[in-house]
Amino acid sequence: MAGTDLMTVRENADIKIIDVMTDLSSYAALDLRKILEDLLLEKVDKVVVNFSEVNHINSTAVGTLVGIAKRLRQNGGDLKLCHLGPPLTRTFNLIGASSVVEIYETEKSALAAF
Amino acid sequence: MEKDYIEFKLPSNVCYIESVRVFIGKLSETLGFPKKRTADIQLALDEICSNAVNHGSMSTESGIKIQITVHKRFLELMVSDTGGKNTKNWFTPEKLAEIQARRTPEGEGGHGLYLIECLTDGHKLQANKYGGTDVTILFNRTNEVG
Repeated sequence: MAGTDLMTVRENADIKIIDVMTDLSSYAALDLRKILEDLLLEKVDKVVVNFSEVNHINSTAVGTLVGIAKRLRQNGGDLKLCHLGPPLTRTFNLIGASSVVEIYETEKSALAAF
Repeated sequence: MEKDYIEFKLPSNVCYIESVRVFIGKLSETLGFPKKRTADIQLALDEICSNAVNHGSMSTESGIKIQITVHKRFLELMVSDTGGKNTKNWFTPEKLAEIQARRTPEGEGGHGLYLIECLTDGHKLQANKYGGTDVTILFNRTNEVG
């Protein structure tokens, strides 16, 4: 299964969960994009990204998540995010992406939303 | 203290930006910026460095320059690139402004300059003599120390 030392992929039924364990500047965003695109190639259509270990995200990473969410929705699935701390929430809100991608407080609530 | 000056030169590769982001975070803490403002400074610098590498560099060897000036009343950061002329990703100051005008929350890109406007107390984009762009951002020091 796709993943790196700092981003692992696990599953819950037909939903893939990515645990991100590094701050997301442009370099790490490349890894996140690769993992998400690999899941798309595997025909996965339900994905949750858990940000509980992340304290920073830039607009490149946010743009990647927005783009992947749109592609998953075209396949009948979706991308849901959880455990965003205040710095990440601020970035999503400033960009306006929090109205484009669904954000949940907990992983449990994100999974239940599918 | 009148002002102190720090300068970095990095290869044009995004893998080096994270280290600079961590450095500016520690410096901002040292200067007494609150935690939330430190996060803003880190994000703004990340955005302009990413733009300089991705849209203002011909190759890794082009390099970018980061100048940090600690003034008594504000922190000034300037990132300079040499321009990516003839590369498909080259962004001039004018093109950056145009991209920002077309920005939507649903879009995958074009958010960097918008974030810089939101996060800083002042910013300036200027063409430089190397054919690239100098982006300067300012953060007011109000209750900070040093």
